[in-house]
Amino acid sequence: MIKINDLNFGYTKKDLLFKNLSMQLKAGHIYGLLGKNGAGKSSLLKNLAGLVYAHSGSIEVMGFDPAKRQPSLLKQICFIPEEFHLPSVKIDAYVKANAPFYPDFDHQYLNDLLSEFDIPVAQKLVNMSYGQKKKLIIAFGLATQAKLIIMDEPTNGLDIPSKAQFRKIMAAALTEDRCIIISTHQVRDLDNLIDTVIMLDENAVALKASIEEITSKLCFKRMTELDETVIYAEPSLSGYNAVTPNYHHEDSKLDMELLFNAMLTEKNKLKTVFN
Amino acid sequence: MNNTFNIQRFSMLLKRQWLEFGKIYLITLGVAFGVIATFYMVAIWPSFQEMPSYDIRLNFREPLFLIFGFLFISVIASSYFAHFGQKAKTVIDLLIPASTFEKFLAAIFFTAILAVVSYVVIFYLTDLGFITKLRTTYSSLATSTSFNDSRGKFTMVRDNYDYFFSANKMNLYPQLYAIPLFVTAVFLLGSIYFNKFHYIKTAISVMIFSGIWTYIVMNSIDFLTRGRHNKQDFMFSNGPDKDLALWLVALFISVLTVIFWVITYVRLKEKEV
Amino acid sequence: MEFRDNKAIYLQIADYVCERILLAKWKSEEKIPSVREMAVELEVNPNTVMRTYEMLQTKNIISNKRGIGFFVNEDAIANVKAYRKVQFMDDELPVVFRNIYLLNIGFDELQNRYDAFVKETFNT
Repeated sequence: MIKINDLNFGYTKKDLLFKNLSMQLKAGHIYGLLGKNGAGKSSLLKNLAGLVYAHSGSIEVMGFDPAKRQPSLLKQICFIPEEFHLPSVKIDAYVKANAPFYPDFDHQYLNDLLSEFDIPVAQKLVNMSYGQKKKLIIAFGLATQAKLIIMDEPTNGLDIPSKAQFRKIMAAALTEDRCIIISTHQVRDLDNLIDTVIMLDENAVALKASIEEITSKLCFKRMTELDETVIYAEPSLSGYNAVTPNYHHEDSKLDMELLFNAMLTEKNKLKTVFN
Repeated sequence: MNNTFNIQRFSMLLKRQWLEFGKIYLITLGVAFGVIATFYMVAIWPSFQEMPSYDIRLNFREPLFLIFGFLFISVIASSYFAHFGQKAKTVIDLLIPASTFEKFLAAIFFTAILAVVSYVVIFYLTDLGFITKLRTTYSSLATSTSFNDSRGKFTMVRDNYDYFFSANKMNLYPQLYAIPLFVTAVFLLGSIYFNKFHYIKTAISVMIFSGIWTYIVMNSIDFLTRGRHNKQDFMFSNGPDKDLALWLVALFISVLTVIFWVITYVRLKEKEV
Repeated sequence: MEFRDNKAIYLQIADYVCERILLAKWKSEEKIPSVREMAVELEVNPNTVMRTYEMLQTKNIISNKRGIGFFVNEDAIANVKAYRKVQFMDDELPVVFRNIYLLNIGFDELQNRYDAFVKETFNT
């Protein structure tokens, strides 16, 4: 669905955010995009949606170049930015003005999502809280039936029940012809929802692997004492939370935060495990 | 699917833009109407009250039309892309599934066409209302006036305002009809070019540019024609080539307008968030 | 359902399905929730549920009837027990043994505890 080849991108020519970044993303997956602040998560997402332009390299989304901003592609993209602005009109007026651009728009689905999110349809957008507005654009975006769903920190601003609703909605939204990319700091909100992890670090993709691949190569476990096999460990109440190579084909639960910290501190050790 | 222009998609875009831009537009139009009406009231009201006098001043109408027209269309044009200064507002606009060309045409429609036409209409209606009222107050079936009108034709009218309007036919310069479009084009570009304080920055840029330009032109003319031409005579020439000169000015303004629009289109196409 | 920290999610979902079958909440030859329904209920990625269902198919606990959905096998209970037994012996028993050894607990003490537990919990 998405092919990125040798992407060079930066907000200034000297200071590149991505150097020769290449990656392919397929339909039928929920990709979790992780990275430190400033690693370029939002920038990568914007590149995919054609909101910013690369210096060189190519991006292909469903056969289109997103930088051309063609309607045929735009109607297949649902982009949920972290910061957004909605006009001060009622929800139904907003929907009436924007939905016709999406030929497959599903009004019934939108109503189901809005009631699941507890958003009254007659409400004016200007009176809604940030969280409610966010839920509205998520619901609207999913109802467009777009094939590529890009979400920048979607759980920011959602309260606890909304986060659970969000996970349910996203679990239902993943179909075989859809590709969902979610960037997040709050991995705990989403770790069971993501099936493939993309980690950005130092101008490149530091890791791109499915949960299955990661847990087949790495083992995440509690240890009382550290030994030489440990790649990375953090102290916890009952000893250490540790990452080790998976010598014994154990099926452990991926601890995304631990993996993330391991990647930042022990990048080379992890790279040898994955290559 | 046509990725450049599709009439159905374009009409959907106009409806969508109206939802957001319509409010600013209607408020500005309301203010414009209020100001025009107030001017008329202040200027004409005494004539409604007192005894008929032939000292009614209507000469405020042309400057009012021009000055306020300029303000109105420039304010509208300079607010169309103003929200592009804020990232949060730009993202959703750029991702609307319409082509950049359609988004650009929508901008032209709202600023160059709708704003200019609606201003002319609202001014005309206000003017019509007040002048009609004046006529009903001052027309007299008992007196009549005969005269040669502005085209030299012998005319006889029964009310004195007919006389006023037939005798004081203004000079019309159809060549200058391109100016309103030029004004909107300049301010539309300003609204996408600057991130903040679009109106002021555009106005200042226009002043600086036109100042520099005038200085260069006048000095180069002076230099090129030194000793061979009377500067004063050259500047205020009203000779037989006046029409040609005006048409050249019109052509020049039209070309500039198109150039400004093209730059706006390119800016819109290259807009990043 | 609350997921625990130390076991792969797809295995925890398998345990959940097995438990439903052992408790006869899902009876043999009955249709079980689709991948999507299950994913929504548990708030997990459908691909993870798919992995669980594929694994349970290889253990002959459930089977996929093309175009209709997943069904509990006729001899599912026996297969669940076999599967759980292997899991228990391989994964959980070593932990228990380790504690028995470290804490020096005698087997007769364990026997008494076990009998009391069965009596109390299952009323036999």
